[in-house]
Amino acid sequence: MRRSAVAGSEQAGDAGQGALLTRRRFNVDEYYAMARAGILAEDERVELLDGEVVVMTPIGIRHADCVRRLIDTFSRRFARRAILQVQNPVRLDGYSEPEPDVALLRPPLDRYAGAHPKPEDVLLIVEVADTSLTGDRALKLPRYAVAGIAEVWIVNVEEREVEVYRQPSGTRYADVQHLREGSVTLLAFPGEAIDIEDILGPAPSDSPGDI
Amino acid sequence: MSTRSAVAGSDQPGGTEQEALLTRRRFNVDEYYAMARAGILAEDERVELLDGEVVVMTPIGIRHQACVDRLTDAFSRRCTDRAVVRVQGPVRLDEYAEPEPDVALLRRPLERYDVAHPAPEDVLLVVEVADTSLERDGGPKLSFYASAGIVEVWIVNVQAREIEVYRQPSGTRYADVQHLREGSVTPLAFPGEAIDIEDILGPAPSDPPADV
Repeated sequence: MRRSAVAGSEQAGDAGQGALLTRRRFNVDEYYAMARAGILAEDERVELLDGEVVVMTPIGIRHADCVRRLIDTFSRRFARRAILQVQNPVRLDGYSEPEPDVALLRPPLDRYAGAHPKPEDVLLIVEVADTSLTGDRALKLPRYAVAGIAEVWIVNVEEREVEVYRQPSGTRYADVQHLREGSVTLLAFPGEAIDIEDILGPAPSDSPGDI
Repeated sequence: MSTRSAVAGSDQPGGTEQEALLTRRRFNVDEYYAMARAGILAEDERVELLDGEVVVMTPIGIRHQACVDRLTDAFSRRCTDRAVVRVQGPVRLDEYAEPEPDVALLRRPLERYDVAHPAPEDVLLVVEVADTSLERDGGPKLSFYASAGIVEVWIVNVQAREIEVYRQPSGTRYADVQHLREGSVTPLAFPGEAIDIEDILGPAPSDPPADV
């Protein structure tokens, strides 16, 4: 999206028509004011991304299963060495507050009693993608890169693949790996190899039924 | 699972590939007004609601405003008692769209608008003035007017000294389009009231005098 020079606004619209409607971007304070004013209902699954209020896709079975496996693995491996949060906000900047599926944060817990985690607090973000894969890659990943989030994984549950992104550089990550088997090691915990199968779950069996 | 969310109030807009991936939370007019009441939108912000999105209006330049004044003048004199001339005020197209066109001719009586903003059936004509290049690319806004069934829209292109006349809304487009650079233009609603283009555009910038 092209950016307008007008504060608080951003150019949007159909690029094919050449023509632009300048969207009013909302900052995090205004986003919270919407919630207080009842404009956003308590049970709405929304996030603020680059000044836009965005609806999160409903969580499918495979998505939920993968999140559970991540909770299980991370809580066992990193108990006390990192704070594990699930679908909680991370405040990237004044205009973006996504709620990543899983995040590992620097301890201690009390650090976050007064404010949502900021980019420098984040050791790892994991987004689980079943239907949201293209959106996560195209829209959330650049925002994470710009904010300097050190490491992001996108778990493609459909293809059984973990995409590992490191070295944020502008709106992209310079180091990208796609892992389908074996193990992955977090930048923050180089001694801890995590089996990909612990994240994805066992492969669906294609063995024939009992004879 | 389809990528189009079934959640009420949300929608995927069309447009670029990137935008098609984003399920934007659309806001309806009630929520839009609640934003203003909550101080989220400041009183002096020039915004409109289009397809559930709060959109910023470009600041009005001198020539733009002068053209609006000319239109107001021309309509007021010709349509006294037969229409309401609303200048830069809201027109409620539907639950998710409330633009503020430069000039709108509305059905009388005035009391109709004491209780509600005009709806599409109240609108005889919308005129948008396009001065800057940003305004000239009026594509998206025009499609909102067509979709709502606004019977006639003029876009006054100040720099090109041309009036684009759109009639016969059909889906998101207008079937009958004319570009007028001279002569006069007559609103569908007032067939006897031809308005000289020059009364809307103002006098052409004069040519430098030739050397004798």
